[in-house]
Amino acid sequence: MSDKAIPLCQAACPINTDVPGYVSAISRGDLERAIRIIRQVNPFPSVCGRICTRPCESACRRAQIDEPIAIAALKRFASDQTKGLKVVQPPEHFYNETHMPTKVGTKENENNPPSPPFSKGGMGGFPGEKVAVVGSGPAGLTAAHDLTLLGYRVTVFEAQNILGGMLIEGIPEYRLPKDVVKEEIDYILSLGIEAKRGLSLGRDFTIEGLLKDYQAVFLAIGSQKSLLPRCNEVELTGIITAVEFLKQVSQGERPLLGKRVVIVGGGHTAIDAARTCVRLGSSEVTIIYRRTLDEMPAGKAEVEETENEGVKIRYLTAPVEFLGNGNVKKVRCIKMQLGELDESGRRRPLPIENSEFEIEADTVILAIGYIPEAETIKDSGLILGKNGTVVVKDDTGATNLKGVFAGGDVVSGPSSVIEAIASGKKAARAIHRYLRNLPDEKMEEYSAFRLLDDGIVKLISKSNMQKVSTLPIEKRINSFAEVELGYNFEQAVKEAQRCLSCGTGAVVTENCASCLNCVRICPYGVPVPGREIAEIDISQCQACGICVSECPASAINLKLETKEQVRAEMEDIINIAMKEAQEILTIGFYCQYKSPAGHPGGGNGVYWLGKLCTGRLDVFQLIYPFELGADGLVITVCPDQECHSRDGSRWLIKHIEKAREILDEIGIGANRLSIISDVEELSDFRKRLLDVGINPLRKGKKVKE
Amino acid sequence: MIVAEIKPFEEIKNMIKNYQKVLIVGCGSCVTVCLTGGERQVELLASALRMARKIEGNDITVGELTIRRQCDPEFIEQIKDEAAQYDVILSMACGAGVQGIAERFKDIPVLPAMNTMFLGVSDGQGTWVEVCAACGDCILWKTGGICPVARCAKGLVNGPCGGSQGGLCEVSKDVPCAWQLIYARLVRLNLQHFLKDISQQKKQPVRPRRLVREDLRLKKEPTKGV
Ligand code: SF4
Ligand code: SF4
Ligand code: SF4
Ligand code: SF4
Repeated sequence: MSDKAIPLCQAACPINTDVPGYVSAISRGDLERAIRIIRQVNPFPSVCGRICTRPCESACRRAQIDEPIAIAALKRFASDQTKGLKVVQPPEHFYNETHMPTKVGTKENENNPPSPPFSKGGMGGFPGEKVAVVGSGPAGLTAAHDLTLLGYRVTVFEAQNILGGMLIEGIPEYRLPKDVVKEEIDYILSLGIEAKRGLSLGRDFTIEGLLKDYQAVFLAIGSQKSLLPRCNEVELTGIITAVEFLKQVSQGERPLLGKRVVIVGGGHTAIDAARTCVRLGSSEVTIIYRRTLDEMPAGKAEVEETENEGVKIRYLTAPVEFLGNGNVKKVRCIKMQLGELDESGRRRPLPIENSEFEIEADTVILAIGYIPEAETIKDSGLILGKNGTVVVKDDTGATNLKGVFAGGDVVSGPSSVIEAIASGKKAARAIHRYLRNLPDEKMEEYSAFRLLDDGIVKLISKSNMQKVSTLPIEKRINSFAEVELGYNFEQAVKEAQRCLSCGTGAVVTENCASCLNCVRICPYGVPVPGREIAEIDISQCQACGICVSECPASAINLKLETKEQVRAEMEDIINIAMKEAQEILTIGFYCQYKSPAGHPGGGNGVYWLGKLCTGRLDVFQLIYPFELGADGLVITVCPDQECHSRDGSRWLIKHIEKAREILDEIGIGANRLSIISDVEELSDFRKRLLDVGINPLRKGKKVKE
Repeated sequence: MIVAEIKPFEEIKNMIKNYQKVLIVGCGSCVTVCLTGGERQVELLASALRMARKIEGNDITVGELTIRRQCDPEFIEQIKDEAAQYDVILSMACGAGVQGIAERFKDIPVLPAMNTMFLGVSDGQGTWVEVCAACGDCILWKTGGICPVARCAKGLVNGPCGGSQGGLCEVSKDVPCAWQLIYARLVRLNLQHFLKDISQQKKQPVRPRRLVREDLRLKKEPTKGV
């Protein structure tokens, strides 16, 4: 397997978000680290956490065992909970040569955000070139964000009076609250981006004109012109496009729809329009879609929620004609059946002869497809493709005009927010290379890990996805309040702990003495005796860390947490304890799987350090706290059968026995080290510790009185 | 592989009691493989010694190093600068390694942290058994691949003592009788006739033994005596 293989979720994400990285940070309750990892590639975490199409979840290997990780919901949680935190992450991930692994900024650069340019290598001082971004949807703003962080001066042009494009106008409030979008946009602008609102391409300025003042232009005007069905009487009053309808509603208008609304289409916009109609009081809302649920771009869960709200969906149904006299009254439909595969890879719907029927409708909303507003750019000299999309040379978004790049829906046709963000990032990268005169580069392609072997799947215990709670139906249908309520802390941590941490496991170094101990003790049977040294297939490793603490040559590193990190964490906590502790200084290591909501408590004077499975603690780590001055050390451990790492509890008990033996031999005393199962045992332990007194190694060292 | 175990902590502590700067040297070969003298154990022993001495009010400096093999001077050579900074070296290798280091660093005392036990094979995770006594005159070809020198409690080479019961050794009831094993294996291989001719005189080696492979050497001058 190549070194370039990455977890399936990360490979499926269009911006290769380090999913296991941030999910594992959440699983330890470290939300700040999580948001740093997310922000490194994504300037819209709260938006994506709500409405991402989640290709990562469809790829997640946890589904081999039970259900995928709720990756987006966790992103929302991390983002919502760290709102006040202004994390600026240099867009390193997409701009360093290797593109991996993720380096996460520290606290220092939060208070003191790195001033542009972030990338010192080769770029020299502040570039200062000006870049115009046309369109303020996710593609445009992402490019603006990345370019600004790279040191360019960016101006965003937006035809509307409000920024955000489809995020604001197209996605209804109950799915994506406006203030969430606004907050993310404000934050992006706060990096130093100028926004010019109400200026429309073709009307108020031209690309040619922009190129006089700006050294590069990024065109991201989206794809918002609705396609109309080829039916008679489509111009009847009461027939509107979904884009127009959603836009009106987003601006606070409440169009009169009547009781019966028919929505034509099966995409996200159709669903959004239908659910919006329900909220506006229409009692009979019907979606007609010419294919079946399986082909529907909107996900099954979303469809289910929609039906729960009372929307009827008629599959295999297409409109033939709208009937009415001035105002639309009825939709004449025909039944369809699925035929051969078409060029989109889906089965082509074909009308069934003589199957026409009529549905009554006071309003018809059309949501069958969108194309870019080509009129605005038709004189620009840009080569346009079929449907008015801008033709680009390659992935970078370079167009036939020098210095003009395009991305987002105006190139791809209607796509998802995350695709738009990816496209904005690629364009920013390409514009940067263009302005810095860097040679073209080939973006590295990463392969994804293979699936988990059946033998390993069987060894992992099942635990279903934490349900995101939703607003009760009664409360939903007469308001635009957000439907999904998000996780609370404990739910989020539990959900994050379901992640298999793919790719963060064990790596054998050249120090391996080929003792084969790892081969013999791995609870999942991953290591194999190689020809020279042991080999561990990181794609299968469950990152339990057991081999790491049993390797006699200390030749195995866990990507998830290095030995140095563990040591530093211990030193930190003990240093804090030494400064604060009143009398007897007790350190506690607790299993975070056992206590997802945080440490078990036990009052002042106990300093806790969470471990994802205390079975990872090796003997040295159990005696080292005493060398640092701890008076007592307690450890929580899960019952054997509940151990997340299968054998973790049993190894921990072995390690504790050994450590206690050593403590006795050196004269510190075994009774300072103990497993505890609850707070009561902890307080007993501490009482006994008072009698034993302080760690003899600490004599002479001051602890605050 | 050579199998060794760590000496009791008290003994080690006692050995180094008069020294202030101790360099613990692990060995990355046999003793790492038998989980006793590799980098991990070096780290643990170092920490334990530091603490024990501190408690006695007699702080020490402990250095930690692990080299690939302590039975080759070239590897030992690599740590000479570090070694020079210590009063004493505590070797976590087998006896051969201890002497390898002692031979190289003549002015620094070298102490064994291990008891070297036997030549053995792995018998499942965390278990090793003695199978060869390095007698210098191997007879395994006649004994069905089972060594009576090492595995017979009495080291009998000319057949069983007659005291075994139910296949177990009369000296220690936990151990199978080597000769019983030999017999069973030879029967299985249909080579029982070897037993008729088992009486043998084994060469008694003159110690210390030395192996010089002229066929593999270019230089004619004598090897350095260890
Ligand atoms: S289990 Fe975690 S790391 Fe693995 S694919 Fe799923 S989300 Fe990604
Ligand atoms: S336990 Fe360590 S030394 Fe032994 S085979 Fe595995 S990696 Fe190599
Ligand atoms: S970390 Fe755990 S699962 Fe991975 S190889 Fe080591 S023992 Fe096996
Ligand atoms: S006879 Fe036994 S002790 Fe002698 S060399 Fe052979 S195996 Fe080793």
